[in-house]
Amino acid sequence: MKRDAALNGLKIVECGGLVSAAYASKLFADLGAEVIKVEPPWGDPARLRGPFPGKSPDLNASGLFIYLNCNKRGVTADLATAEGQELLQALVRDADMLIHNVSPNRVRHLGLEYEGLARANPRLVEVSVTPFGLRGPHRTYEASDLTLWAAGGLAYLNGAGPGSDDLPPLKPFGLQAEFQGALNAAVAGLGALFARRKTGVGQHVVVSIQQCVASILELTFEYYPYMGLIASRLGQKPIQPLDFFECRDGWIFVCCVEEHQWHSLVELMGNPDWAQLEIFADRLSRARNWDALKLLIQEWMATQSVAELYHAGQSRRIPLAPVSTMGDLLNSDHLRARGFFATIEQPGAGRTTFPGAPYQLSATPWKLRRPAPKLGEHNQQVIEAMGRGTPWSFAASATEATR
Amino acid sequence: MRPLEGIRVADFTWVWAGPFCTLQLAHLGAEVIRIESAARPCVTRLLPPWPDGQPGINRSGYFNQYNQGKYSIALDLKHPDAVTVAKDLVRHCDVVCENFASGVMERLGLGYSELRSVRPDIIMISMSGYGATGPEKEYVSYGPAQVPLSGLSSLTGYPGFPPMHVGISYGDPTAGLHAAFAVLAALWHREETGEGQFIDLSQWETTIAVIPEAVIEYAWHGTQPERNGNRDPLMAPHGIFRCAGEQRWVAIAVRDDEEWVKLARVMGREDLAEHPTLRHQAGRREAIESIEQAIESWTIQRSPREVTALLQAEGIPAFPCYDSRDIAEDEHLRSEGFFVELEHPEVGRKLHLGIPWKMEGTPCEVSRPAPLLGEHTDQVLRDILGYDAARIEALRRGGVLR
Repeated sequence: MKRDAALNGLKIVECGGLVSAAYASKLFADLGAEVIKVEPPWGDPARLRGPFPGKSPDLNASGLFIYLNCNKRGVTADLATAEGQELLQALVRDADMLIHNVSPNRVRHLGLEYEGLARANPRLVEVSVTPFGLRGPHRTYEASDLTLWAAGGLAYLNGAGPGSDDLPPLKPFGLQAEFQGALNAAVAGLGALFARRKTGVGQHVVVSIQQCVASILELTFEYYPYMGLIASRLGQKPIQPLDFFECRDGWIFVCCVEEHQWHSLVELMGNPDWAQLEIFADRLSRARNWDALKLLIQEWMATQSVAELYHAGQSRRIPLAPVSTMGDLLNSDHLRARGFFATIEQPGAGRTTFPGAPYQLSATPWKLRRPAPKLGEHNQQVIEAMGRGTPWSFAASATEATR
Repeated sequence: MRPLEGIRVADFTWVWAGPFCTLQLAHLGAEVIRIESAARPCVTRLLPPWPDGQPGINRSGYFNQYNQGKYSIALDLKHPDAVTVAKDLVRHCDVVCENFASGVMERLGLGYSELRSVRPDIIMISMSGYGATGPEKEYVSYGPAQVPLSGLSSLTGYPGFPPMHVGISYGDPTAGLHAAFAVLAALWHREETGEGQFIDLSQWETTIAVIPEAVIEYAWHGTQPERNGNRDPLMAPHGIFRCAGEQRWVAIAVRDDEEWVKLARVMGREDLAEHPTLRHQAGRREAIESIEQAIESWTIQRSPREVTALLQAEGIPAFPCYDSRDIAEDEHLRSEGFFVELEHPEVGRKLHLGIPWKMEGTPCEVSRPAPLLGEHTDQVLRDILGYDAARIEALRRGGVLR
């Protein structure tokens, strides 16, 4: 049998708000799974987040929503009503997977409990993406991306360093805790489908975003059990240079992990006398004397151009990186040659360009097949496909998302 | 019966991104066999933390965290005979993972076309910094540099301050998870059709994949979001506030107008709760500096836990900024069964982070600690490759198995 998409034939129902369920099901959809997204009549909150192509918010033109929901079909249902739950059950009856990130405090109220759904479809895998899991004392805690980044220990590691400790720990741009939850949910969800190949039955998978964040503490967490030390944003870096510098037309990140990289950088800077000083002799002493060294390097950097320096450094095997702006990314020759950015004609928003294939599968390529659904766009179509003659009413005119 | 029981992975990965991918596969029950060498040990084997500060090739907490549940054979790939052994191993594997710079595997004689000739349905993933094609494919990429390269640094920072980092090499795990999903999808396709394939992953691209809002804003308007600290475009207040004690902080996110009124009342600030212009998010954003000051003057008198308890009682998202000790000692995480403590021959029983999800039907757990370098060399060569003792001995004498 010839298939051009890896996950062809899988049927997935998603009840997702913002990122942590939607990005997971997007990964499936982009590799060929059929995904039906169920939104409340007032829409997924991602529809309010933007950016928007025009001046004002528009439920059918939010950039974040479009990115997360291309390749899916969308229906609206209020799961707090009997009618909404009836629709969900009908959709889930012949689905392989249900994935949602509904707050554990509302799961029962919305009819999303695994036991009930599995009775009607024992082959169903249900993936619940939760803030804290469903066992421990914090399971009912309310959460947002920021509080989960803090709860997983990552906020504590970033922000202003020595001398600026009055500034708070700093979160990264965007909704990164949610993206980490989504990635784990996709891996665990597809894992559970592999289990079904062996057992013949589905199961309930519970993802804890707090734990997903804690899982990526790199080497910092183990400092505590191994050495009794607590890593923080206020510690000195162990080696240098690993820092940001301002050039005449933007910022560059200088990363010299190995001695030969530092020697190449010194050469690139024209072998200044100060580079021969004993206090800068090796990567550890450069870190100890970083305040002085940083000023000397910065002085030279200020006259340089980011792009020229990046390519000149890389041609000497120095791992310099531009501090890319979005413009740098969209204009990058490398990313363009790889065809990374994808563009879709999105009804109601026009041409929309966003990050494309995160991986290139030689036999079953990532593919953009359809734009993101307008609110309730497939209500009629999906009901007819289910052979129910009675369309239910839906109101797509809400102004405010509720939880 | 774990999901990937019976799937075998030849793991040529090093540092963090690659091992994080194969860690996911090990969590799901795949038999992951690391190909390592004392001649060029994995970077993380050489990095701290070490128990008592005593370095050792098997003693790094960094390595031991991200290689749990895997096996290890010692094989010096610079040796031509080692390449034969590696190919023999691949013949018995379903998946090959590697994250060297683009071109390294080909130069070793272990490129996809080569491996495909010994195992036609092999699934191979190469996760380099820049990807397998494009004008910069040969560029050097280190974890810390991926964050600025991806654009995340230019978006992250305090208002009016320089670009900032994330605190970890965030591109690595993000690439690792994307890679694990891609491998699973390719395995799914192979189950359905018998067809293997090659996967090209660029860590640069998988990191851009998680900042879509900023990319789209630029594509539409030619602008990008200003660095805005811990604030949020839609929620206000939204930040991390100082509490009583040394470097103790709490994160608070007010999702809607109702929660704002509740927060103001918990703080005993009826004046703020009643203030008409603060009733709406837009008004609060106008006055954000003074609102943040008001919150901090309240939090600074309390512990992060007390603030969290008071706000959670009202259903407002709040949580302490945990450090690694807070995580290690957290009762909730313990009752979730998140931690792993297994006896390791060289470091004893050390606390490690486990699997961040639960499967109710086919439970997955970390069943073995990270391997010693070459711990399973003889076992793998004998039991999987079918080499006899004389052949193994000859390879060892020839300096191939080190």
